[in-house]
Amino acid sequence: MVMLRRKNWRDIKDNKGVYFACIVVIALGLMIYSAMSIAVESMDKTLQKYYTDKNFADGFISVTGYPENKVTSLEFIPGIDQAAGRIIKEVRIIDQQKDSNRYLKILTLNRPNTPQINQIHLTTGQLPRENQPEILVDPKFLAANHLSLGDSINVNLDGNQVSLMVTGTGQSPEFIYIMRNAQDLYPSPEEFGMAYVSFSTLKALVKEKGQVNDLVITLKEGVRFEEIKDSLEAELKPYGVRSMVARKDQTSHTIMTSEIKSLRTMAKALPVVFLGVAAIILYTMLRRLIELQRAMIGTLKAFGFTNREIVIHYVTYPVVIGTTGGLLGGLSGVALSFPLTTMYKAFFDLPGLKSEFSFKYLFFSLALALIFSVISGIKGSLDILRLEPAEAMRPPAPGTASKTLIEKFTWFWRSLTSQAQMGIRDVFRTPTRSLFNVLGIAVVFSLMTVSWSMQNMTDILTTVQLEKVQTFDVKMQLSQPSPTGATKLALAHEPGVTKIEPLLEVPASLRNGWLKKEVALMGLTKETTLYNILDKKGQRVEVPDQGVLLSEHLAKSLNVKVGDEIYVESPLRRETIGQKGAKLFVKGIVPQYVGLNAFMEEKQLQYFLRQGEISTSMLIEMDPAEIGTMKNKFRNASNVASIESLKDTGDKIAKMMESFGFTVWILAILGGICGFALIYNASIISLSERKRELASLRVLGMTPREVLKVITSEQWTLYAFGILLGIPMAYGLNLSMAQSMSNDMYSLPAELPFMALLGAAAGTAFSVLVAQSRAYYKIKSLPYVEILATRD
Amino acid sequence: MDVLMEGTDIRKRYRTGEVEIEVLKGLDFQIFQGEFIVILGQSGSGKTTLLNIIGGMTQASTGELYYKGQPLHSIDEQQLTLYRRNEVGFVFQNYNLMPNLTTYENVKLAVEIAENPLSVSDVLKEVGLEGWSDHFPSQLSGGQQQRVAIARAIAKNPELLLCDEPTGALDIQTGIQVLKSLQKLNQVYKKTVMIITHNVEIAKMANRVFYLKDGLLDCVKVNDNPLNPEDISW
Repeated sequence: MVMLRRKNWRDIKDNKGVYFACIVVIALGLMIYSAMSIAVESMDKTLQKYYTDKNFADGFISVTGYPENKVTSLEFIPGIDQAAGRIIKEVRIIDQQKDSNRYLKILTLNRPNTPQINQIHLTTGQLPRENQPEILVDPKFLAANHLSLGDSINVNLDGNQVSLMVTGTGQSPEFIYIMRNAQDLYPSPEEFGMAYVSFSTLKALVKEKGQVNDLVITLKEGVRFEEIKDSLEAELKPYGVRSMVARKDQTSHTIMTSEIKSLRTMAKALPVVFLGVAAIILYTMLRRLIELQRAMIGTLKAFGFTNREIVIHYVTYPVVIGTTGGLLGGLSGVALSFPLTTMYKAFFDLPGLKSEFSFKYLFFSLALALIFSVISGIKGSLDILRLEPAEAMRPPAPGTASKTLIEKFTWFWRSLTSQAQMGIRDVFRTPTRSLFNVLGIAVVFSLMTVSWSMQNMTDILTTVQLEKVQTFDVKMQLSQPSPTGATKLALAHEPGVTKIEPLLEVPASLRNGWLKKEVALMGLTKETTLYNILDKKGQRVEVPDQGVLLSEHLAKSLNVKVGDEIYVESPLRRETIGQKGAKLFVKGIVPQYVGLNAFMEEKQLQYFLRQGEISTSMLIEMDPAEIGTMKNKFRNASNVASIESLKDTGDKIAKMMESFGFTVWILAILGGICGFALIYNASIISLSERKRELASLRVLGMTPREVLKVITSEQWTLYAFGILLGIPMAYGLNLSMAQSMSNDMYSLPAELPFMALLGAAAGTAFSVLVAQSRAYYKIKSLPYVEILATRD
Repeated sequence: MDVLMEGTDIRKRYRTGEVEIEVLKGLDFQIFQGEFIVILGQSGSGKTTLLNIIGGMTQASTGELYYKGQPLHSIDEQQLTLYRRNEVGFVFQNYNLMPNLTTYENVKLAVEIAENPLSVSDVLKEVGLEGWSDHFPSQLSGGQQQRVAIARAIAKNPELLLCDEPTGALDIQTGIQVLKSLQKLNQVYKKTVMIITHNVEIAKMANRVFYLKDGLLDCVKVNDNPLNPEDISW
């Protein structure tokens, strides 16, 4: 069928604008799909390989102190394969020049002849030697602090100043994503980094001799952490268990896996939107082409071409477009995956992460494009099958000429110009096509709202967290749970302090049947004003006298509602016989954007723990001018783990938000391109259908701009319906985006502000206007005399 | 002469909304191999419907139709397509050429599906278009376009050539040229030709003339001395 293929090619050439727009939309969708999929797959593979190569632990246990020589005995617990002990200290860097607090978390390296768990990936230099004041730091910390190998870092370790020489840079699988605590949201390598010293070196420097304060274990194949947790906890209880965390809840691992998960979701969802729009364009375009070539189809049938041959001929159009778009998208996606992976590598610093040419995703892209285009092609060309050759040779029967629905609103209808009446009437006379276009506009509009509301979601997250929830000026974290009264008293007379509130934050395990979650259980005073729990409307919620408040995300994870009972355990609870934990009622469920917490009244939590009146942090309201003085005074205190002002937190979050801006613009631009392609296709179809009408209007003496109104009035009507349908769609899309991007670290609020709707409506209108400007030039160059002279 | 086609009580009904219209009301006819037949009748008499049924473009609602002894009234769409592909050539009043294929390509299009086609160049020469191979339909006159349509129809080497108002859109000179092509096909290549027309003058070329009136075959006239196209005028 060489001649039919030639016809295909020439038809495509004659309508290259529409075909090109469609190819661009397909290519964009598949570029996103393949680039993101390749990057995600590389990340996932590299991460798993890194974990295996470096023997990443299955469990992490923090204890007050456990005898160093007993660590190997833990391997006798059924299910535990290997156990290693280490000393972890968070130290402050002593630096006279810098006012800001910089911290290092120092971990001891695996001792020789002990299980090598969480081995270090050495990036530069060499590992610190035994008994030498040498230190290995994470590469980001080194770079952010402009340090070099051989430089010395002075730290305050248990009240003593120690100088450690940097011998190299390296990274542990435990700290790929380095954050000081779960509330930080974002790494800040300038202020916090990981460091590693030899076991003998740190052992000699700390107060607690012959003890480790942290344990890591690996499990035998097929064993889950939950299965050994009770036996392990029983063994460690006398040594003061602070927290027991399974790999799946470990901070860096959680962030890495949730990032991979959300990228995977995006990699799947975004292309569907693009391919959906492309399918609408292809379908409407093909329907129109078939309507226009009705007599040709009849002729082909009359000549003995089979239905299959004719359908294949028409399906060739979307197939050519799909193949071109799929190839372009797949290839550009493969190309884009290289810088994208480099970007992820810079962000996550995952050793060994690199992009590779992927035939798999090139093939998938092509296959996806073909599936979408063949389906829309077959759907669009089904009419051919129904068409009898004799019938095809006749012009189609004129459509019904009865009044359309809109014309029944007489007052409105009469107020329209004739051009507008022509345009709007057609919207209602071709309901299927209009519906598809409306659907396409709605998709583009809702895609644009996502780009606007993502910004809004993160804005809410920061504003609410920093201005409404955390209203303290300084949070002083204590090195260990300390008596509340004495600590408050010690701080009460510090200059500038106007209010102090204790905070008791303990690790806890919440259980509802088999559903279980490890979280920080926060004890707040009933009258707290420095840490506010807010409901959806932003109204303050008081911590209940009895029971717990859960964050929405937590309640959902545990599948509980208000009034349900959950079983709460904490390693800090002093056990009574037969009572490891206690059942507590869920008294309320509250939104929480940062962190994943359960809240209790402070006294109740103290009662639950049976440890007396203790606190883990002090929330302080004070004169901002005095914050620096306070930091200087307490930064070296041995019972103070850290002092952080709210401003520091705000700066960190603001930095994180900058990276969202890029994504927002990319999404908006991609949405705009989709919108343009869709409307441009609609204009071309309108123009081809109406060329005789439009030519007549030109002959009547109308200017091209006046004639354009026929097209624009149709498009603005479709636009209006598209926006109306797009609003609920946008709410749904935003809700699912917020849900898919939320994790244990933060929950994005699924709010869609009016500005997002307005912005997206303006963005969509812009793409409509650009498409109309193209239609204007087509009308301007319309050969109206020739058109009127030719027969239909 | 051998009977090429035989129709008995051919009826065709169309339904338009609630109304059913009977376009053909029971026709009996025979078509002989190598005949030149002209069908005359007023608009709405059922000429095109009859031609479409003969050409396998549509099927009769009732009645029996045999082509070379094989039933056409009871075969499926696929067999009907094969019939059109291998046995029938169509020429339409509005030419129905593919606008973005050249003269040569339009003819080649039909040749590609035929079982026993003629050479495209030979056929184009036959209709006097040998110098116009690379021209697109929009670059040709109406007569030239119609000759391309005839070339396309005969290039398949069909047994039966059906022409619906082939000269309807042409001036007299061009019309006569087109008729000469059709007559040559009938006389030289011994193909059966059926022409629908309003033009009674063209009937003078035919061996037999079918007169259709209100969906019935009013009469069939045999013409013992058919004229050559150059001998007729309108």
